[in-house]
Amino acid sequence: MDALLNAVLTPVQQLLGPLLFTVVWTLVKIVLILAPLMLSVAYLTFWERKVIGWMQVRIGPNRVGPWGLLQPIADGVKLFLKEILLPAVADKKLFLLAPVLSIAPALAAWAVIPFSEGWVLANIDAGVLYLLAVSSFGVYGVIIAGWASNSKYPFFGAMRASAQMISYEISMGLALITVLMVSNSLNLTDIVKAQSTGRFVSYGLDFMSWNWLPLLPMFGVYLISGVAETNRAPFDVVEGESEIVAGHMVEYSGMSFAMFFLAEYANMILIAAMVSIFFLGGWLSPFGLLPDGFHWLAGKMAFVLFLFLWFRATFPRYRYDQIMRLGWKVFVPLSLAWILVVGVWMMSPLTIWK
Amino acid sequence: MISLPHYLILGAILFSIGVVGIFLNRKNLIVLMMAIELMLLAVNLNFVAFSHYLNDLSGQLFVFFILVVAAAEAGIGLAILVVLFRNLSSIHVEDLDQLKG
Amino acid sequence: MELKTILFYLFAVIMVFAALRVVTARNPVHAVLFLVLAFFNAAGLWMLLQAEFLSIMLVMVYVGAVMVLFLFVVMMLDINIEQMRKGFWTHLPLGAGVGLLMVAEMAVVLSGRYFGLQNFPPQNLPANHSNTKELARVMFTDYVYPFELASVILLVAVIAAVMLTQRTRKDTKGMHPNDQIAVKRNDRLRIVRMVSEPPEVQAVDAKAEEKS
Repeated sequence: MDALLNAVLTPVQQLLGPLLFTVVWTLVKIVLILAPLMLSVAYLTFWERKVIGWMQVRIGPNRVGPWGLLQPIADGVKLFLKEILLPAVADKKLFLLAPVLSIAPALAAWAVIPFSEGWVLANIDAGVLYLLAVSSFGVYGVIIAGWASNSKYPFFGAMRASAQMISYEISMGLALITVLMVSNSLNLTDIVKAQSTGRFVSYGLDFMSWNWLPLLPMFGVYLISGVAETNRAPFDVVEGESEIVAGHMVEYSGMSFAMFFLAEYANMILIAAMVSIFFLGGWLSPFGLLPDGFHWLAGKMAFVLFLFLWFRATFPRYRYDQIMRLGWKVFVPLSLAWILVVGVWMMSPLTIWK
Repeated sequence: MISLPHYLILGAILFSIGVVGIFLNRKNLIVLMMAIELMLLAVNLNFVAFSHYLNDLSGQLFVFFILVVAAAEAGIGLAILVVLFRNLSSIHVEDLDQLKG
Repeated sequence: MELKTILFYLFAVIMVFAALRVVTARNPVHAVLFLVLAFFNAAGLWMLLQAEFLSIMLVMVYVGAVMVLFLFVVMMLDINIEQMRKGFWTHLPLGAGVGLLMVAEMAVVLSGRYFGLQNFPPQNLPANHSNTKELARVMFTDYVYPFELASVILLVAVIAAVMLTQRTRKDTKGMHPNDQIAVKRNDRLRIVRMVSEPPEVQAVDAKAEEKS
């Protein structure tokens, strides 16, 4: 595989020169990451409607194409062809900037996600920090959208969003600290590799030595905070239809509205990837006798995404003050306490991380 | 070739913009705080530039501590601002004249 | 021109422009967003200086947290922008003069040959050098006490901010969630066992069935 790649790339490199080649090759890699991502975003919306349909004993979309498979494309075309309305009293520049600001971080974060051993766009040492920094920027799209619309419900949505997303970022960050402690690195590839050692690996039960088991409470905190961070049900008060219509997206139409949806689903896939990498062993196979590979990461991400949809179909929406209470009074103290527990555990003779 | 004075002069420009901002927006407490943030950023830029060219990590450590203190300052400052606004319904600097001594 | 030089001037120009707009913008929300832009470009410059940990930290702490707080406060406060800008134009000539003078003086001092600032060579670190690791090594050995002090400062700031802004309003009708969750079924609901239809109706029905 590598030899074949080199055989193709070497003449291209000679043709373009080193600098231009780096730029072009990086762009090709970016397209190779983003094109499947956008496709999975489209089919995640389809899958969500199907799964929730089945859970509610309905059929779900089944009209466009075989088994309704062309439904996301039909939706996309519909949204493309709609007019983008500009409210008269809106702040026009910021109004148009907001959807871009919400989708850009959701895509930029993929630069450091390792898909398999060595399959990563930028293998940087501060990968976890980069992820935190980029995902903390996502809140700007929501706030600016709500403010620039110059309308009441969007503004409520923006205020709720900024408070909620910042609060849950804290518990996500604290939950990550335990992962960093046990894997001794900020590099995502190293974090995955650190999960491939342990007592259970020698029994062939690799999945027992992934981080989810020793850090089980943090796994729960991270997963639930991830749901809240992406403003998904049951924490979707930011865009709760029955309370504030659609929150920050009320005034948007056509493709600018669709951008917010693309951002939300891209963020869901990102959180799924992060949960899989930090807690579920990334591309590692669950049993010692099976080979590792990208398909394991894809399978784990699909599982976490299914959990997202399952939560949405199962739980009623939280009340806003209860969301904030859960974030600040339950998750933050719990993760702080667990950091201490893991620290003591690592220093004690009972440590399993050597 | 970018040398140390390039960064220092950029820092100087940024710092002066911060000072000018305080001159111009004397009435607006929020913009005053933002001008202070700009000045801190200029100082941080100088620290990082020195750390790079003198090959000494202490400069970057110092920036780290400045970031911590600046974050604390912004948090408390904005809290005071909110309390002020709640009590006076204004953050106009000239309205803050109740402390006489 | 090297790529690094081009990037330096690009970041520098955008940063200075954004900083100018921060202090001159009419709307404070725009000012905050321009400050965010300035921070991003500063992060880019620090990246050029091979301080990647700090540059990511800057984006995380400032852009991700502090500026969101600013934005939140600016949007929530109902302030009179026109009144705020009173005196802007009268102060502009003096302010601009002082600012230009400061820049000119510092430029003369810094770019002169007196201190020999040009002579410092830039660091040439290998590609696998980890800034994060080096910084951590210094932070947790030589600077461990300042580091702990910094955490105490943050703790004090958290407590201060909460104490300053917290108030219990008398007109809120909130309930404590613990009380709500602790409610048992028997406190609220009384289940009465009763037949679904009155007996006489059943009797009539039974007679009707017998006849038919």
